[in-house]
Formats: sequence, structure tokens, C-alpha cells
Amino acid sequence: MGEPGHSRRALLKGVGGLVAACPFAASVARAEPHVTDAPLANHASQDDRTPFYGARQAGVVTPRPAHGMVASFAVVADDADALEALFRRLTERIAFLTAGGPVPVLDPKLPPADSGLLGPVARPDGLTVTVALGASLFDDRPWLRPLKPKRLTRMTRFPNDALNADLCHGDLTLQICANSQDATIHALRDIIKSIPDQLILSWKQEGAVPVVAPGPDGTAESARNFLGFRDGSANPDSRDEALMDRVVWVGAGDGEPDWATGGSYQAVRIIRNFVERWDRTPLGEQERIMGRSKMTGAPLDKLSASEFVGPDYAQDRDGRLTPLDSHIRLANPRDAKSDANLILRRPFNYSNGVTRSGQLDQGLLFICYQADLDAGFISVQRRLDGEPLEEYVKPVGGGYFYVLPGVETPSDHLGRALVAAAREPRDG
Amino acid sequence: MKLKHSLAAAGLALVLASGAFARDAALDLVEPLAEYKVYVTEKTEKLETDVAAFTAAVKAGEIDKAKALFAPSRMSYEAIEPIAELFGDLDASIDSRADDHEGGEANPDFIGFHRIEYALWVKSSTEGLAPVADKLLADVKELRTRIAGLTFPPEKVVGGAAALMEEVAATKISGEEDRYSHTDLWDFRANFDGSRKIVELVRPLIAKKEATFLKTVDANFERIDTILSKYKQGEGYVSYEKLTDGDRKALSAAVNTLAEDLSKLRGKLGLD
Repeated sequence: MGEPGHSRRALLKGVGGLVAACPFAASVARAEPHVTDAPLANHASQDDRTPFYGARQAGVVTPRPAHGMVASFAVVADDADALEALFRRLTERIAFLTAGGPVPVLDPKLPPADSGLLGPVARPDGLTVTVALGASLFDDRPWLRPLKPKRLTRMTRFPNDALNADLCHGDLTLQICANSQDATIHALRDIIKSIPDQLILSWKQEGAVPVVAPGPDGTAESARNFLGFRDGSANPDSRDEALMDRVVWVGAGDGEPDWATGGSYQAVRIIRNFVERWDRTPLGEQERIMGRSKMTGAPLDKLSASEFVGPDYAQDRDGRLTPLDSHIRLANPRDAKSDANLILRRPFNYSNGVTRSGQLDQGLLFICYQADLDAGFISVQRRLDGEPLEEYVKPVGGGYFYVLPGVETPSDHLGRALVAAAREPRDG
Repeated sequence: MKLKHSLAAAGLALVLASGAFARDAALDLVEPLAEYKVYVTEKTEKLETDVAAFTAAVKAGEIDKAKALFAPSRMSYEAIEPIAELFGDLDASIDSRADDHEGGEANPDFIGFHRIEYALWVKSSTEGLAPVADKLLADVKELRTRIAGLTFPPEKVVGGAAALMEEVAATKISGEEDRYSHTDLWDFRANFDGSRKIVELVRPLIAKKEATFLKTVDANFERIDTILSKYKQGEGYVSYEKLTDGDRKALSAAVNTLAEDLSKLRGKLGLD
């Protein structure tokens, strides 16, 4: 993990112009945000801009803004030309939406150019749109099949899953994140309206991260999930580039097709939480199930420590303090081997309505990124199979996807290397 | 011809009086509107004939015959939905679905085509259907009378091309319209024909200026024709359940694109 000694929160850094512009905050400094940090209250601006261009797509190691969604589509593309056309149009829309700008004004006899949700000038509001591809995009197209990332499969059921076919899989996903729900919905509606002939929406799930007020030192605690626990305390540090290169990003030597370099595996899980039942569970049991103090997030063997201090399982081999089947201990045993199973989690809480049984339909839109899907999410989830937490959670949807490499310049487009590879003649 | 001529004259008088859009657009649309009224009038006549035969079979307890007549009887209605839907009361009693009514199929207000469809396919019975059949025929006759006396609003006619696609996109592509009989592809055929008819009628007005637009629209209609032709059987179509996932997606993409493109047809013709 490389973190216990020097907490990432110690990396305080002034925020320059922003702070200087605000007379009441002249002495405030804060840690540069990490991917799972809660969004800071009063920090988001509609003019926040996350650069779209880069070797890797935004929205993976980018700190979470307050709102996020995953939308899954079926793709209409029968050949490499059609796929290129789709990628070019997606690139054009995402480049505009993430930079922001005036919405074209049309003849009022025509439908308006966009939904109007953001007014005459679409401000970026921290928007990121991350494009990823599902196994079916490759499997259903013989000319694309040989280029499928090695570990990309159709998600299969884990023992506790009750997968709803209407909430699973897809040819292409968009992970859309922004400071406001309106900005995410505006982006989704813009893309649906712009590319109706090639993208057919299959399902979507929206979520949010609670915005947290920073403490006096400018730092914030991890956001809580709908089980009331802090989520993400032990996430690998997304600001550590070398660590991200190893854990999250696919590199040239990883045995993946050449075009996939700079991409990442995305696992999405829509995990319903049985919150009524959870709320009727004794606090001590909740904490033993999770392996952390509910209020502070401290590990159970160091109750006075901060959530960011790791547990010491070597001193607690029989699980007297942190039960061996607790969620955090199974997910990350912190031994020599489990270091290979690190994943970068980037989840959002969702609240959808009421089930037919009259219970709240709430849970976690779990999203995680890793360079190796088998060693990452799939290995972690296998260790979790049968955990006591299963009585309170039920995965109902999601899928596995491959995040395309980034778009480096305005003349580049998403999936350029993939399309080029698809056009290369291959030996039968 | 005579009918067509007098309709054209009546349409002209109204259009000029309405002042809802520019004088040129009004004059240009007189002929297409008149022709569209002829089209709708013919469809309503056929609807009445077909529904008379369908409801007679229902009342006679001839289940197989009634099942065979269900889908073709609906086609004339589906083709003229933009006009038929102007009469909300009739549309509700002729073509509402179970989920338009609280309590679904059990609700006595659930009548019309789909109530009979439910009885024929799910209950395999025509018991108690006589009043429903009589009401359906009476409603269809009433529709014909009302349409005969209607001056067609130009924006509803032109907008109808897109409205038909919106209907398919929003509540038909899922197969929920004919959920008991799965005869949705017959409805689709009629919806597409009805939409394309409108495009054909106004085509001469925009052929020069909007050549690219029309080319895209034509291509999508042809895409739909190609897909539907794969599922043709006799005079009609196989069960909607036979539609492959890939074809459903391709159909969905073409319908969504037509809905998007045809939403601009009114504006392109200068209608407000």
C-alpha cells in the first residue's frame, strides 16, 4: 500500500489563485484531492474543467466530483469505418462538453440544439466522460474479435449475485461525472441526441458522493456509503503515478493488444443494500462485518487511529480484533500476495425509489479500475464470496469494460489505434 | 379527383385564415394537405370495413378467425395515428393498453383493440366480449365521421411524420403494444408507412434545398424496410418475439434517427 507511514493527507499544498481570490480563506491550504476523497463543500465551480486531452482518459484517477453515472449502450457498427465514425463523433461531443462553450442558437422553428439544461452557455462543471468497451462489442464482430483485450469477458455471476439482465453488460459504457447532476444528464442527453443511429441506450445508473465540509486543516474524511461506513479509506493513492501505472493502467508489457496501452479495465457493479435490515443490526455486528469503526472509520485494532491508518493483521492472526471474515480483511488481507490484487475504487451511492416489497432501493454504484481484471476485481470478489456482509447486499447489475486509451490532441480521436488495428490485414 | 379538388379548396381557405405561418408555406402546403386528407379518408374507410369483419368474428365466437383479423384490422389505424390521436377520447377507447388503466386488465375501462387481443390470446375466449366489440365498431365509425369533418392542422400533419416515430421509439420497440399477440411488426409496418407517406407528400417542397436531409431520411426508411422484409410471412409478419437482438437494435437506431431527423421537418417547411 505504501501509505501507513506518511499519510497522503500530510501532503498539504496551497491552492494558489483560488485561495488568494477568497479573502476569508487566505490561510487555508488543503491536500490535493485523491480519487476517493469526498468532494469538498463549497469548492466546486461550474467553471471547473478537467482536461479531456491526454494519453489516458479522464475520470479514472480523477478525484470524484459529487455526481456520477454509468450509461451502457448497444453499438451499431458493422465495419471499421462505422466504428471510426462513432468514435470520432463521441470524441467531438466529449471534447466540447468537457471544455464547455456557447450552445448554438437555431431557428426557433427547429428543435433547439441541446436540452438547454445548462442554459445558453454549457459550462463544464468538472465534467468527465469516460468511454469503455464491453466484450460483446468484440465478440459480435468477427473483424474486431481478435483485438479483444485478453482479460475482457462478459461478467459472470458470483454466488451472491441476482443479476437483472436489463442492468447488465453492454457494447459501450459512458461513465459521466460532474459537480452537478444536471451536468451529467446534460452530457448524456447531448450524446444520445447527437448519435442516435449508432448508440442505443440499454441501462444507466446514477449516483452521488456526499460532499464533505473540510476540517480546519483543509482536509476531509472519506465519504460514507449508504451503509453509513466510510468508503475508500484504503484505496491506493491515485496521485502516485508509479503506483497507478502498476495498479490501474495497462502498459506496453502487460500482454494486451498494442492498441490497448494506456487503457484500463473497468468493473461496474450495481450493488443493492438492504438498508432497513442493516439499520436493525447491532452496531457492534455492523463493525465486525465491515472491519472498521462506523463513526471514525478506524480499523478495529487501532480504534483511536484515523481511518487512513492501516490495520496490523500480523498482530491479530486469529482475528480477535478484526474478524477474519470481515469485509476489509477479506477484500485486502494486506499480505505479500494480495498486493497484486489492488484496485482503484471510484464508487457512487445510488437511491432509486422503492421496491415492490416497500423497501428502499438504495445501494452502491461500485466502479473500480485495474490493469488486470482477473488479478484485480475478480480475485477480490472471489475472496469476498460468502462474507457475512452478503446478508445485507445484493449485486443486481453491471459488467466488465475496457477503458479506451486517451485522446492526445484535437486531431486524434478515441479508439484510433483500435480502428487502425482492425483495418490491418490479418493472416487467416 | 373531384373530392381531392374540393378538399384542396377547403384547406386553402382555412390555411389562409389561420395566419399561423407564412403565406408561401401555406400555399405550398395546400396540395399535400389535401392529398393527405384523401389518404386518411381512405384509411378510415378501410378501418371501418376491417373492424366490422373483426368484431363480427369476435361476436360469433370464431376465435381463430378473430385472431387472424386482429393485426391487419389495426394497420389502417396505426398508419393514421397522428390524426386519430387528435380525438383523445376515441383513441383511449379504441387503442389504450392495460397499463393505461389502474389495475390493468381487470379494470372494466380497459376496452378496445387490446382488450379483445387479451381475451383472444390469453383467455382464448370471447365470452362477454360482445359489448366491447360493439363499442369498438361504434368508435371507429365515430372516428370516420369526425375525421370527415376535420380541417387538418398543417403542423399536426407534418409533425405526424416524427410523431409516429416517437411512438415507436417510446412505447413500441419494447414489444409492449401487442404484448399478448406479438403482432407488433404489423403495427410497425403501418407506422412507418404512415410516416413515409407524409414525407413523400411534402418532398417536392424541400427536394432541392434539403437533398442531404432527404437522403438520410430515405436511407433510414430503407434500412427499416430491409429489416422488416426478413420477417415477412404471407400478408403479414411473424411474431415480434422472433426479432433477433441485432435487428431490434438496428431497428431502434433507425427509428431514433428518424425521430431526430423528422423532428426538423416542420421547421424546414417553415411551420411554427
